[in-house]
Amino acid sequence: MMQPDRYSLKEAFVLHRRNFRETSLLLDIFSRDHGIFRLIAKGALRGRGGRSGVLQPFLPLSLAWTSRGEPAVLTAAEARGNIFELSGKNLFCGFYLNELLVRLLPPHDPHERIFACYGQSLQRLQTGGRLDETLRFFELALLEELGYGLLLDYDAESGAEIQAERYYAYGIEQGPVECGAGGSAVRGSVLLGLRNGFLTGHEEILAAKRLMRRVIQHYLGGRPLKSRDLFKYSTYSVFNIE
Amino acid sequence: MLQSGRLAQLIQALRVLPGVGPKSAQRMAFHLLQRDRLGARGLAEALLEAVEHIGHCGECRTLTEGELCAVCANPNRDGTQLCIVESPAEVFAIDQSTGFKGRFFVLNGRLSPLDGIGPDELRLDLLERRLQTGEVREMILATNTTVEGEATAHYLSEMARHFGVRPTRIAYGVPFGGEIEFVDGTTLAHAFNGRREV
Repeated sequence: MMQPDRYSLKEAFVLHRRNFRETSLLLDIFSRDHGIFRLIAKGALRGRGGRSGVLQPFLPLSLAWTSRGEPAVLTAAEARGNIFELSGKNLFCGFYLNELLVRLLPPHDPHERIFACYGQSLQRLQTGGRLDETLRFFELALLEELGYGLLLDYDAESGAEIQAERYYAYGIEQGPVECGAGGSAVRGSVLLGLRNGFLTGHEEILAAKRLMRRVIQHYLGGRPLKSRDLFKYSTYSVFNIE
Repeated sequence: MLQSGRLAQLIQALRVLPGVGPKSAQRMAFHLLQRDRLGARGLAEALLEAVEHIGHCGECRTLTEGELCAVCANPNRDGTQLCIVESPAEVFAIDQSTGFKGRFFVLNGRLSPLDGIGPDELRLDLLERRLQTGEVREMILATNTTVEGEATAHYLSEMARHFGVRPTRIAYGVPFGGEIEFVDGTTLAHAFNGRREV
């Protein structure tokens, strides 16, 4: 019989948990060294000895597991710090990050940079930084890591530097090309703002959101992200682009 | 395989019950057939009747035999308070032990984007329509204290405010009779932050 692979305590987050059979949990895990994968926590819901309390989303964890095919089986779990306490809109944003990871990252692919960036983003969501900037920063880093990075400093055709006050048509997988104002044209200041991780003014924030949504939708394929629906009644929505 | 035909079928069928594995299913099947055939017939009939006649309440969506459940049909219940729960079992739990005299709304789930469950899948438009009538003054959010339960509560609180209804969330923290030393950190932090004047 094949020997199972054993993995000793690794840094990880639970992205999503669902009940599995009577007392077990099926977990979507994002680990620093092994990326996204599925894990079964047997008996996690069983009474006091269960690990249900610690296997929460947004809680930094150390996990150990064995794998003999899919899904792997959890053998140990401990908290590595305090849970990121997200509430309200910030919690919705947390779901959004998790959904992006599950939908865009290929399984079993380590992405240390994104793992670090995820932790930083949760930290920013907890301390109540500007939600838009946090999300755009994460989206850009994720696309970059996947090799879909956005070209934000040079005109894709002329090679000229992006000018803040000029307008550009952004072609997905091509980059910005200078054009006239109007339609879906993006101001240069928006591209530069995204590059520098600093967006000012309502118009720019909105334009950056529109651009990023278009790009992400392209890589997601047809199925839209569900977590955006949560913002229907939010008076100020980080996803509202209308 | 010793069991075949109808016996195997019965054992397999019993396994739909929560907590029943192959071994227990086999014990149940033998018990019913060897010792309690009358009980088995009664069980079969009760199951058929229940599946046939029990549906969801037209107002609150809990399980009921009639068009409306007992709570919704009772004119003495206070229609200005609406308690939101995730499942019918919670309606019973709250009704039996809290003395709550208002009405309920059962979500039959919770918002969970990664499972593909959003407001549309939970049919929250039914709840919107209920709030639109203007009868409800307070919405008591009794969803579970999981992250999805919290997200659902927040979504519904925004919906309530949109319709001019006061949203409230049930308190949570140290269980009654519990000892602080043994309460997990997250729960204790919540209990501490949610302290109130006595």
